[in-house]
Amino acid sequence: MISKDEVIDYKNLDVLVKCLNSQGQLLSRRRTGLDAQRQRVLKQAVKRARHMALLPFVG
Amino acid sequence: MSNLYEGMFLIDNDLVRAGWSDAKAVVTNVLTKHGGAVRSARRWDERALAFPVGGRRRGTYVISYVELPSDAMPSLTRDLEITEGIMRYMIVRTDAMPESEQELATAEQSADFAVPPPPADDAGSYSPLQSSDDSDDDTDSDDSDDSEDDE
Repeated sequence: MISKDEVIDYKNLDVLVKCLNSQGQLLSRRRTGLDAQRQRVLKQAVKRARHMALLPFVG
Repeated sequence: MSNLYEGMFLIDNDLVRAGWSDAKAVVTNVLTKHGGAVRSARRWDERALAFPVGGRRRGTYVISYVELPSDAMPSLTRDLEITEGIMRYMIVRTDAMPESEQELATAEQSADFAVPPPPADDAGSYSPLQSSDDSDDDTDSDDSDDSEDDE
């Protein structure tokens, strides 16, 4: 779902949106296909984007 | 000891309509007041928010890279909280400023750069999740099946 060269950052919304379900919840590692380290980075990025009103808390 | 920080600020569009340089100065003045050396500050985007913030449905984002003393953060955040016009802010440590950032910031300072004016009305909503709805449905039910098995 996310290729290795894609940067996971709270400003990179195209990447983050791919890892959320229709309700705005973060998908599991099984679904995102990320390793534990990058899933953790993704979690932090989504939380930061939500704080800045870039992503919804609830979809 | 000072650190490099990346700061993103959500600014009220009313402030932007009054003048972009003044709106940006609201952010940079607070940063410099607390001993910050602003390396770059530029308009990131103007967009509909994912949810209303302070009764506003749209806002303008400023992104800034600043060197701040390591003990400045408590007083800076206190000041940002009470600054009119800054609706949200986030300041995070960063190792280095992206290479393209300096060019974009200097391009904004050039004479022929014009900030697109925000829409006159505050209407609009941003819902990025609708596009991925259909493809998710099957696997979502699969996930919930799994959790039922666990119980």
